Amino acid sequence: MTTLALQAHAVSHSFGSVPVLRGLNCDLAPGCAAAIIGSNGSGKSTLVRIFAGLLKPTAGSMVLFGDSRIDRRRLGLLTHQTFLYRNLTARENLEFYAALYGMRNPPQIAAEWIERIGLEALAAYRVRTISRGNEQRLAIARALIANPDLLIMDEPFTALDVAGAELVKGLIAESMERGCAVVLTAHSGATLTAIACERYELSRGRLAADKGT
Amino acid sequence: MTQFRAILGKDLRLEIRSGESTIALIALSLLILVVIVFALSQAGARGTEAGAGALWIAMLFSGMLGAVRALSSERDNGTIYALLVSPVDRTTIYFAKLTAAVVFMAIAEVAAVVLMVLFFNLNFDFGLLRMLPILALGVIGFGALATVLSAVSGHTRMGDLILPVLAVPLYVPALIAGVKASAAMLSGAPFTSAAIWIKILIAFDLLFVGAGYLLFEFVIAEN
Repeated sequence: MTTLALQAHAVSHSFGSVPVLRGLNCDLAPGCAAAIIGSNGSGKSTLVRIFAGLLKPTAGSMVLFGDSRIDRRRLGLLTHQTFLYRNLTARENLEFYAALYGMRNPPQIAAEWIERIGLEALAAYRVRTISRGNEQRLAIARALIANPDLLIMDEPFTALDVAGAELVKGLIAESMERGCAVVLTAHSGATLTAIACERYELSRGRLAADKGT
Repeated sequence: MTQFRAILGKDLRLEIRSGESTIALIALSLLILVVIVFALSQAGARGTEAGAGALWIAMLFSGMLGAVRALSSERDNGTIYALLVSPVDRTTIYFAKLTAAVVFMAIAEVAAVVLMVLFFNLNFDFGLLRMLPILALGVIGFGALATVLSAVSGHTRMGDLILPVLAVPLYVPALIAGVKASAAMLSGAPFTSAAIWIKILIAFDLLFVGAGYLLFEFVIAEN
């Protein structure tokens, strides 16, 4: 039996007395993608932070790869913030993250990813000087650099043009092919429908399987 | 070790490019020393005791800024979350941030020592060299304390205000020891005469570095 990549059971979270998530259940198998669709304030970002282990749920349990302790080497995270250092160049950022994940030969890995995301011409430019769309490409490369087994992406298509969105779809599909489970969130489901195996609707802190797919 | 080097190297590279922390630390040290020189000249107090006191006060406040910058820059960019979700051990993050803060403080401290000599009519002599290990102990101890407390204060809305309220009272015994030991070194007294103060400084360094090592993991997390 395959171990599930992610199991959330009755996960709830409150900020003070304000409940944000209420009793969410979600299972995700390796190689599968779950799309979580929700409007602003529905709790998507909080859920992403809980899935990534940045926030402990106030109730319920989270298990990644059959273990309640998170193996952070297996996790890739993309949020609204790009997690890039604006005074480092594109290449330096990726080299730093490759080193942080203990990978061998960070300069080579960074160069490979720069090529894959089509930013060769901007590799030596500081992040603060490149466009938001290219910054997003770089942030996605950062999240994928250590070949995670669980990829959590909060609105990954933000700021991307058509070519950028296609590139990211390709990278996600490639990750899924090698067995990576993917959690994607967005305001609307149009872009995610083609990628996701499962679709959930997050509304007022409750997660419901979307029967529309 | 690779991860420690990566974080420290990144912090130093960013600082070399922007110079934000070091310039601010030197400017703050200069301001504090100028204010103290004027205040003490009115009272007629000058010399080694006053110079050592002024130097340590400058170190205390500029150190606070240095330690805060080492962590707050990560918080401002949200990159702290990238560090927290990465497989890097929290203590590795702590020691990398502490080392970065110590480097920034040490640079500011060199500038502050030069200013102290000029402002307090002291000599560039062997006494200054003898004072360096004592200053190094002060920088390490205060850097350790301020780094862990800035991780705590970063979670609060008034973090910048809370840090000095927490850090200064905790550091007062080490501050007194540092001033006494530095003054003894500047006045040419033998090391043995300041042994008790140096031992106190070492004890506080061990306490603060140890506490940071043990607590950082818990205070840096969001929950």
